[in-house]
Amino acid sequence: MAADAVFRIAGLKKSFGPNQVLSGVGLELRSGEVAVLMGANGAGKSTLVKVMSGVHAPDGGAMMLGGRVFSPKSPAEAIRAGVVTVHQNINDGVVAALDVATNLTLDRLSGKGAAALFNPRRVQREARAVAERMGLDVDLKASIADLSLADRQMVAIARAMAHEPKVLILDEPTSSLSSAEANRLFSLIERLKEHGVAILYISHRMSDIRRLADRIVSLRDGAIAGTFEARPLDYEGAVNAMLGRTVQHGTVEARAAGETVFTADRLAIAEGVLPISLTLGAGELVAVTGLVGVGKTALAETLFGLRAPRAGTMTLDGKAYAPQSPRDAIEAGVFLVAKDRAENGIVGDFNVYENMSLPFLRRISAFGVSRRGAERALARGQIKDLGIVCRSEKDELATLSGGNQQKVMVARWLAQPARLMMLDEPFQGVDIAARRDIAAKLRAEAAGRATLIFVTELDEALETADRILVMSEHTIVGEHRNGAIDMDRLLAEVAGQKRRAA
Amino acid sequence: MSPRELAVRYGFLVLFAALVIYFALAAPGFVSPQSAVFVFQSVAITGVLALGVTATLVVGGFDLSIGSVATSSMMAAAYAMVVLDQGVFVAVAACLAIGIIVGLINGFLIVYMRVPDLLATLGMMFLLVGLQRIPTEGRSIAAGMTMPDGSVAPGKFSEAFLTLGRHRFDFFTPNLVPVSVVVLIVLAVLIWFFLEYTRFGRMMYAVGSNERAAELAGAPVKAYKIWAYVISGIFASIGGILLAARLGRGDIASGNNLLLDAVAAALIGFAVLGASKPNAFGTAIGALFVGVLLQGLTMMNAPYYTQDFVKGAVLVVALVFTFALSAKAKR
Amino acid sequence: MNITRRTFALLTLGLMGATALGGLPALAADRPAPFDKPESVKIALVRYLSTGDFFQAYLAGVQAQAKALGVDLRVFDSQQDAALQSDMVDQAIALGVQGIIIQHGLTESMKDAAQRAVDAGIKVVAFDVNVENAKIPQIEQSDKDLARLALEQAIKDNGEAWKAGYVYVAGIAPLDRRNETWVEFKKKYSGIDEVAQFGTLDNPIANSVANQARSVLSANPDIKVMFAPYDEFAKGVKIAVDEAGKNKDIKIYSADISTADISAMREKDSAWAATAATNPAVVGQVSVRALAMLLAGEDPGHSVVVPPTLITQKDLIEKDIKNMEELGEKLPQFAHADVAMPAWMPNPNAK
Repeated sequence: MAADAVFRIAGLKKSFGPNQVLSGVGLELRSGEVAVLMGANGAGKSTLVKVMSGVHAPDGGAMMLGGRVFSPKSPAEAIRAGVVTVHQNINDGVVAALDVATNLTLDRLSGKGAAALFNPRRVQREARAVAERMGLDVDLKASIADLSLADRQMVAIARAMAHEPKVLILDEPTSSLSSAEANRLFSLIERLKEHGVAILYISHRMSDIRRLADRIVSLRDGAIAGTFEARPLDYEGAVNAMLGRTVQHGTVEARAAGETVFTADRLAIAEGVLPISLTLGAGELVAVTGLVGVGKTALAETLFGLRAPRAGTMTLDGKAYAPQSPRDAIEAGVFLVAKDRAENGIVGDFNVYENMSLPFLRRISAFGVSRRGAERALARGQIKDLGIVCRSEKDELATLSGGNQQKVMVARWLAQPARLMMLDEPFQGVDIAARRDIAAKLRAEAAGRATLIFVTELDEALETADRILVMSEHTIVGEHRNGAIDMDRLLAEVAGQKRRAA
Repeated sequence: MSPRELAVRYGFLVLFAALVIYFALAAPGFVSPQSAVFVFQSVAITGVLALGVTATLVVGGFDLSIGSVATSSMMAAAYAMVVLDQGVFVAVAACLAIGIIVGLINGFLIVYMRVPDLLATLGMMFLLVGLQRIPTEGRSIAAGMTMPDGSVAPGKFSEAFLTLGRHRFDFFTPNLVPVSVVVLIVLAVLIWFFLEYTRFGRMMYAVGSNERAAELAGAPVKAYKIWAYVISGIFASIGGILLAARLGRGDIASGNNLLLDAVAAALIGFAVLGASKPNAFGTAIGALFVGVLLQGLTMMNAPYYTQDFVKGAVLVVALVFTFALSAKAKR
Repeated sequence: MNITRRTFALLTLGLMGATALGGLPALAADRPAPFDKPESVKIALVRYLSTGDFFQAYLAGVQAQAKALGVDLRVFDSQQDAALQSDMVDQAIALGVQGIIIQHGLTESMKDAAQRAVDAGIKVVAFDVNVENAKIPQIEQSDKDLARLALEQAIKDNGEAWKAGYVYVAGIAPLDRRNETWVEFKKKYSGIDEVAQFGTLDNPIANSVANQARSVLSANPDIKVMFAPYDEFAKGVKIAVDEAGKNKDIKIYSADISTADISAMREKDSAWAATAATNPAVVGQVSVRALAMLLAGEDPGHSVVVPPTLITQKDLIEKDIKNMEELGEKLPQFAHADVAMPAWMPNPNAK
């Protein structure tokens, strides 16, 4: 193992106003090594990354790169020095209006000494070289706007790699990648390690961490809470250090369903796919799992009235249910906490209580005039119930950490009784503590309604659900009762092997 | 609150107060009830338009057609009374109908035809500038005018209609407050209450901030957007009524200056109280700010081009307050 | 096209007080070439300003004279876009017209365009814009005379010493010429005290000027005379004077006239005392006639001046003149000007 620290941080401090986010962080990155940075939401990971990548200037402390002081004044300067970051927000990494080839070579187009004239053929040539080196399998002429999130992410990473960095920072790079794509990324990381690149890898995914980590650094409350590099790596200890408490690996006590709430009969959610039939009962929490892009979101949207099914019928409480719009669905008591909260959930100009009251404003209003007192009381109740960390219900949502933002999104829909409560990727970008809070709340309030969560991570399903449905190719291919799960069969179904065999 | 927050929140109001004090000292006659009413009256028409465009800004849209809606409804009022010899009710109804219809068409183009808002309303603006000339083949309308066929128009502006422009209510001193100022204040209070305190207003803000989230929360997003353009159209046509009542005739005009002044007022409004978003109170203050500036500068004999310059400078400063200094913009 | 042109012609005839069609191309054969075959003659009117009654009436005059001659008239309207107006001259050249009338505009943008037209062998006349070209006759409504007539009336009504408000926007040729007369008068009569100067061309002009005038009146309550030598300005000032309730204390003197102006002047206790005007329709007719003379190889002279008429509130009330039509009938000097009238030229006002 390479012993030289290429990148060294000592006593790094950063505050925003009265809020000290980093209180003396020390960190070493060694060439040819993957250091995994773990931390709950709000621990300061994002800020640390932003300081390292030149977005923010530190208030105190020092950074050294290859023995020299490293104090980038801008992201561009950091990149030139050899510290390259792939940010969590995918759309920060790519320009949606341009094609893949231009995106891959974007930095060269604007850098010093770049030719004034845009030569599409040279761009194509250079882009092809970058793509081949990275094993990127995307049409170079495609527009970024037409690509899936996963493909956009791959393009962003490929472009970062094109700089041949000394230090590569990956901020939750796999959060929207399928496992095949993640595997491509992992083999790429292996290759970069061989070339002596020092990698800082930020992730919540234990599977990623187990696969990649040479060393685990746990960040808690703006300081390093523990460094783990003795073989075999102490994952439990790292999680422990990050959370400051022991994570329970308790299994779920699977509950039986009560009376039937929702049924779907031969429901086809896309053209030319096998239909779905399912029954959801009161009081049970059902997880639908499967890889990215197998139709989980499409199913959620069909049930929520956002898209019309190609065939089949649905019933709710025994009556025919065919919502034409989310409004119909909400009227009927079918709620959806959509995935990608920044895009589909958060109203940025609104504070916490305004965000919470959004779907049910009509029910809180009198003669069209919203009753702020009632809104705020409701919000205070939810903040207490879900343990949302904020100063008051009047906080702007953007001041909250990701986990707390997600809690607000969930609270928005828990405010009114539902018949069918759906949550699409409710644990996306949420730290483990918040995830457990949300899951506990969902289970505690499950009585009297059907609850359906859509998760890609199997762990999340196993941790929360009474029953697990597996999706593949836009249909349901397997069903399991939690507690007595044949993991081999489940994994095979997730991988789509069952249908191939059939 | 940090000094920066204080500056963002109250900076613009302080600037406003400083301006008033400066003019009070520098321009004799600036401080009087009449002078204050003049300011309100001079911004009444653009202010009403600005309040309307605020509604479209709230849903994340924009309405470039308001100026030509105002001048078109002025022409419609004049045409109804002078050429068709109708009374005040028909004239007012014709104006409001124009506002509603144009708003619906704008909304339809933007929501269902997916034409970007700036382009749809720009097209509508040109269309209206041309349309208002068609009935009279490009003539301005005044009582006793000669029609294209050689005949003389039979009607004239009804007294009741002119009252809208010329009547003054007693307030402290007799005959002080003109109708247009009352209309401005009433509409400002109405739209402010609507946007801030009703669920419809709240949902419009939600649509403007995150359309997808509003849709997923069950809001009829398309309806809200169309409503915003209808509100904007109605306000613009009310502006047109006031304009016709003041001028006492139908003047061919593009209304582009009305549009620009109205938009400036709404954008200046972003900076008031550090709102960083379209809001009715800010828009009203923005309109008054421009009115005070122009009144003061004119009283000090500043030529018209310096007024445009100062107007532009105020707008730029306001935009800096909004986008650079406010904490929201930082994220 | 025929229908529209006929309607325009009808309008103009009505406007001028004529009642019948007549004297149209029947006599064409007696006229000098190319007007013996007038249908082959194409002329263009390239406009800078078109909003307002003055410009409407001007256009009607151009159309009436073109109709009387029987020539093909194309109208280009740049709507106050200087660059576009210059392009429109080139469009007219490309269209193959024999003659161009340039109506208003900026010297800087039109000088070269006019030269291009002349170089292309096209006859050009210019109305109210100086294109600095010896080959191009200038049609003028004698702005200096306009301002002089109005100001002489102001002196007659108010004596030689008063506080004045003056509405002016620099850079517009006719307003600049009217301004010269104002400056001369201020020199000549030291009692005239200009306490405020303002003005804007933001449209609707009357509304914007009214806002300014309100401020001026509150800053200078002792103003006796408002000199607003453009009727849109005068309308705005009148609105402000009425709103300030000072219509009995202030007199407005202006230039130009329209039906709307007439009714504004006739209002009870109207502050608008007098205006000096050249009949815009007559100016339009003269523009076409001067161009026709050039095309026929005759010389209208480098400067073709259309004389103005003074119209006072008293005239309008005593003669019961309510619109432009009656103005033409009851003030005959207003209806026709014997300028650029060779014997062969058809008179569009003839019965």
